[in-house]
Amino acid sequence: MSKLIEIKDLVTNFYTYEGVVKALNKISLDIDKGITFGLVGESGCGKSVTVRSIMRIVQSPGKIESGQIFFHEENNGSTSDSEPVDLLLQTEKYMRHLRGNKISMIFQEPNAALNPILSIGAQVSESFLFHKKKEMAGKILEHLSAEDDTTLPLIKPFLRFAYTKLAENPQSGLLKLFSRVPVLKLWETKLKQEARRRSVEIIEKLAIPNARKIFDSFPHNLSGGMKQRIVIAIALACSPVLLIADEATSNLDVTIQAQILELLNTLKNDIISSILLITHDLGVVAETCDRVGVMYAGSLCEVADVKELFHNPRHPYTKALLNSVPKRAQAKKLETIEGSVPNLVTPPTGCRFHPRCSLAMEKCKQKTPQIMDKGNGHMVACYAAA
Amino acid sequence: MIGVSILIFGLMMTFSPERRAAAFVTTPQMAKDIPMLIKKYGFDKPFYVQYFTWIKEVSHLNLGYSLVASRSVFDAFLYYFPITLELNLFASPCIILFGIWMGTIAGIKPNSFFDHFSRIFSIIGWSLPTFLFALVLMMIFYGYFPWFPPGVLSDKLTMFVMNSNDFIRYTHLYTIDGILNGRLDITLNALKYLALPVLTETIVICALLMRVMRSGMLEEMSKDYIITAMAKGADKKTIYLKHARRNALIPVITIAGQLIASLMEGSIAVEIIFNRQGIGWWLASSATQLDMPVLMSMCLVMAVVFVLSNLFVDLIYAYIDPRIRLS
Repeated sequence: MSKLIEIKDLVTNFYTYEGVVKALNKISLDIDKGITFGLVGESGCGKSVTVRSIMRIVQSPGKIESGQIFFHEENNGSTSDSEPVDLLLQTEKYMRHLRGNKISMIFQEPNAALNPILSIGAQVSESFLFHKKKEMAGKILEHLSAEDDTTLPLIKPFLRFAYTKLAENPQSGLLKLFSRVPVLKLWETKLKQEARRRSVEIIEKLAIPNARKIFDSFPHNLSGGMKQRIVIAIALACSPVLLIADEATSNLDVTIQAQILELLNTLKNDIISSILLITHDLGVVAETCDRVGVMYAGSLCEVADVKELFHNPRHPYTKALLNSVPKRAQAKKLETIEGSVPNLVTPPTGCRFHPRCSLAMEKCKQKTPQIMDKGNGHMVACYAAA
Repeated sequence: MIGVSILIFGLMMTFSPERRAAAFVTTPQMAKDIPMLIKKYGFDKPFYVQYFTWIKEVSHLNLGYSLVASRSVFDAFLYYFPITLELNLFASPCIILFGIWMGTIAGIKPNSFFDHFSRIFSIIGWSLPTFLFALVLMMIFYGYFPWFPPGVLSDKLTMFVMNSNDFIRYTHLYTIDGILNGRLDITLNALKYLALPVLTETIVICALLMRVMRSGMLEEMSKDYIITAMAKGADKKTIYLKHARRNALIPVITIAGQLIASLMEGSIAVEIIFNRQGIGWWLASSATQLDMPVLMSMCLVMAVVFVLSNLFVDLIYAYIDPRIRLS
């Protein structure tokens, strides 16, 4: 299977008053096309920072220090992969084009993830207005030529001119000028109508009844599950190749959670090719993912196919984690992992898990283990697991 | 409103009937008529009867007689108000736009050069007394460079034009009347007189607005929906202006409404120092000369202004924030 995202030695730090928080410690990770990749780990282990680094939206005081993130862009129809692009070297303009268009993201808190004072419609159509201007202009031109000449004589040539211009160059300065002039800015109306049509379409696709009414309502009119669907609608608007779900179901109750996961699964078959699912719920991982990465304190411990990981965990942290999942018909006391998560301002030397690891050796304290393939795509970063 | 009217009336009732009757005495000979005056104006009646008599008079805009202005309070108000209004007409937009603009930039780039500059600017504006600021400005721009004179438009030529029959004083605002009569020279001249007071008020009052706007921007920029917008591929301008600023504006509007309302009562320091005889100047003189009818009716007017400004602020709220909009 071909790769979609290839992360190499990613380091991201946060410069806080207490010191430099070393949030990511040389993460290396591959995500293949067409799979659902689960990223698990406890709170604050760097899952969110990893995916935000991929999209380059790490907020101040965070900073991506070093590493490479290759994005293999799909070539329509052609079998050979195009040259991968290193996202960390790209301009902000390129990233803007990528965000929401090729890679998009949904968030943990549907209540906070929507702007409270903008209508749902405005927030969903924004995606189209950012990325799909060209396509929409083409569509509108088709409509314009199909229409009968019943409108006033001057309007139609003007509109045709504006949209031809837009189809040629979405960043046209002339159109920006038009948008600032009171009467001339009405040219955008058709564009907004087209965006609205598309938004209603995508909202309907997410099994939301009454999409037209939802379009005109505001976030406070909707329930949490509904809001999360809208957030998903925003993310899916431009049919991205990778959808990052940052704990997308953690704050929803279990029935809604199941619905959303179900929805993501069906959508994966229709629209998007890959999903990167961040969660701390191992149940969700077992249910939905094809491949899993386990993170601990800013480093990646183990990556394996989901069945392999659950049946044959190799890293001591993964083992301990799976042991501490409550099971049905469990008689003895629930096992826990001794100790607590280290402070990432002064992380432990060597392997970051060694202070809590039962198998820790002298070597673990001095040198960070590299993540290595131990056969069948089972990657482990541990000396003891060799 | 009713509460305020009762409060004002209560204050008035703390004066004895004789004291109030004395307000009608204009010559020493009339002093012996005080008992008769008390009877005539009903000062010996129970307070609720007096209250309703007063309310009735007030509702007919009969607010009493101003000694300071030597005309009725209502006429005096109409005489002084345009001067204050004209100042506010220019100061309010400056305050609001400048405050929001500086606050936004400072909030977008915290701890940048502009942020430090605006912080110093606002500390100076907020902590220096208005009169000192006004005096310093006047010293520079009138004392050293005779560009912006104090007072209001009053040179002979202008007054001649003003009082001629062709010049219709539609609004009693010099600048607006100048435009309406097609005399731009008068407008420009009047603006010259306005420049310094407007500058003083802008600097002093927009400091607070700026700080609120800055902290609002900072708070909104750290919210989750900003990340959503970023993940959508929004450009910086859209994020700042469309997403963050509209949210940050909500507290700013409240404060701006209060500030503008208080400006309507006239800034006493500014009006006295720049010798603009507006509401503030009139109030200050009335207070020193214990011109009771003026003080009482101005309290009432202030209450009306505040109620109106709150109403106005609520309307803007509803426009900006859909959560407040009624279905």
